[in-house]
Amino acid sequence: MLTAAALCPAAPLLARELTGADPVVPELRQACREAVDALVQASPDVVVVVGVGDQTRIWDAATAQLDLTPYAPALGTPPAAQAETLPLALGLGGRLLDEAGYHGPRELQEVGADEPAPDCVALGAVLAQVAPRTALLVMADGSARRSRKAPGYLDERSAAFDAEVGRAIRDGDMPTLLALDARLARELMATGRPAWQVLAAAASGRRPASLVRYDDDPFGVAYLIASLTVG
Amino acid sequence: MLRLGKHAFPPGQPLIMAIVNRTPDSFFEPGMTWAESAAYERVEQAIAEGADIIDVGGIPAAPGSDVDVVEEIRRIAGFIAAIRSRYPDIVISADTWRHETGRAACEAGADLLNDSWGGFDEQLADVAAEFGAGLVCAHVGNQRPRTRPFRVAYPDVMADVLAQTLRQARRALAAGVQPDRIVLDPAHDFGKNTWHSLEVTRRLAELTATGWPVLVSLSNKDFVGESLDLPPEHRLSGTLAATAVSAWHGARIFRVHQVLQSRQVVDMVATIRGDRPPARTVRGLA
Repeated sequence: MLTAAALCPAAPLLARELTGADPVVPELRQACREAVDALVQASPDVVVVVGVGDQTRIWDAATAQLDLTPYAPALGTPPAAQAETLPLALGLGGRLLDEAGYHGPRELQEVGADEPAPDCVALGAVLAQVAPRTALLVMADGSARRSRKAPGYLDERSAAFDAEVGRAIRDGDMPTLLALDARLARELMATGRPAWQVLAAAASGRRPASLVRYDDDPFGVAYLIASLTVG
Repeated sequence: MLRLGKHAFPPGQPLIMAIVNRTPDSFFEPGMTWAESAAYERVEQAIAEGADIIDVGGIPAAPGSDVDVVEEIRRIAGFIAAIRSRYPDIVISADTWRHETGRAACEAGADLLNDSWGGFDEQLADVAAEFGAGLVCAHVGNQRPRTRPFRVAYPDVMADVLAQTLRQARRALAAGVQPDRIVLDPAHDFGKNTWHSLEVTRRLAELTATGWPVLVSLSNKDFVGESLDLPPEHRLSGTLAATAVSAWHGARIFRVHQVLQSRQVVDMVATIRGDRPPARTVRGLA
C-alpha cells in the first residue's frame, strides 16, 4: 500500500559537483532534501525510487552506482568496470535517500521513456504491493520546452501541459495523470510522464494530500517538487 | 605550496603579477606610470582586474640612461610603502637585481624580490633571507644587467635554463631563503634570441617538472613581436597565446601588462586543465 511519495526533478544539475563554483540552484536542492526528509519520516517499510530511462527494469542498489563522469569527465574516474551504472534519475534519487540518512530497504525501478500508460498502471499497482507501507521517490520532470532559451526551444503548448500536471499533483488528482497524452508529453520533452503515471496508479484510486515545495522553470525545464501522503 | 607575503597559494592556482614601471623609458607604453598619480591608478586598476601581485620596477631591462642605486630606491621604495599602506593584503614584488634596492624594498613592505638578472648581485638572496621575502631565480645566460643578447648560442637552451635556475635556487636555499618562497623564471628574451624563447616556451614543462613554482614574463616581448612581425602595441594576442601555452605547461606566475585579458586566459586554462572549476555550469544539465 502506498503511504507516501516525494516528487523531485531528475536534472543533472541537482548534483552539486556538476554546476561548478556556483551552486546555481541551492533552493532546488533544499526543496528536494525537504521532500525526501518528509518521505523518510513517514516510516516506510521500503522506498521505491522510480525514474525514467531507456527501459523498464529493476536495478540492484547494492551493485549499481551513480556515475556522473559521463556528464563531467573531470569529476574523476568512473566506477569499476564490473559495477553497473544506474540511470541518472535513479542514481540521483538514491543519492537523495543517502543524504537524508535513509538506510532502510530500497528498490530502484526504471521505467521506459516510451512505456504506454497501461503498462505504467500495471507497474504502479505492483509497486504499491511491495510492502504494507510503501513509499515512492518519483524522479520526474515536466516540459523542457518552456521558453526560447529552454533546451528544446519554446513550444507554446508546454505551459498548459505543465499547469495541468501541477494542478493534478496539487489536488491529488491521480486520474488526470493517468490520462496524460504520451505523444504530447514526448513532443514537449516532458520526460516525467511514465513516472507520474506509475505514481498515480500506485495510489490505487485514493486521493493523496499534497504539499508542493517548488514549481518553477529557471532554465526552461519545468521542475516540480512535492510531498504526497495517502491517508 | 607557494608562499608570498602572508599568503599561501596551492599548486594549480595561477597568479597574475601586474607590471608597474616607475620609469620614463620602458619599452611598452613608455612613461605610462612614471607619474606617481598614474602609478597609483595603475595599481588600483590592476587589483580590480584580478592581479595577485604588484611588481614595481625602477629600471628598464633595456640599456639606456644610467639609473644608480640611489635613484632606483628613490623611484620605488616610497611607492612600495604607499601601496603596502593602501593595500595591506596585496603581494608586492620589487623588480631589481641590486641588494641595496632589495633591502629598501623589503623595508618598505615588499614580499618578493624579482631578480630578472639571474643572481648578478649574490647578496640579493641574503636580503631575501633576512626579510623572509621570496626570490625569483631567472635564467639570463651570460648577460650582465641591462645588456642585450649578441649572437648568443646554447648547445641546449632548455638545459641551460634548468641548470642556471636550479643552481640559483640552491644558492638561495643556502643563503637561507625559505624553500616555499623560491620561484624559477626562464626569462624569455633575456640572453636569448627569439628561437631560444620559443624553445623555452615549447619545453616549459621541463622546468615546471622540477617542482619549483615557475614565473613567466612574456608580456609584449620581442619574441612575440618577431614571431608575428608586430610592434609592441600590437602584441597582446601573441602574448596571450604564449601565456595560454605556458599555463598549460604548469607555469604559476604570469608577469603582465594587460591584467584583465591575462587573468581570463590563465583562469580559462586552469579550468581546462581541471585545476579550477568552471564558474557556473548549466548548459545541457537542466
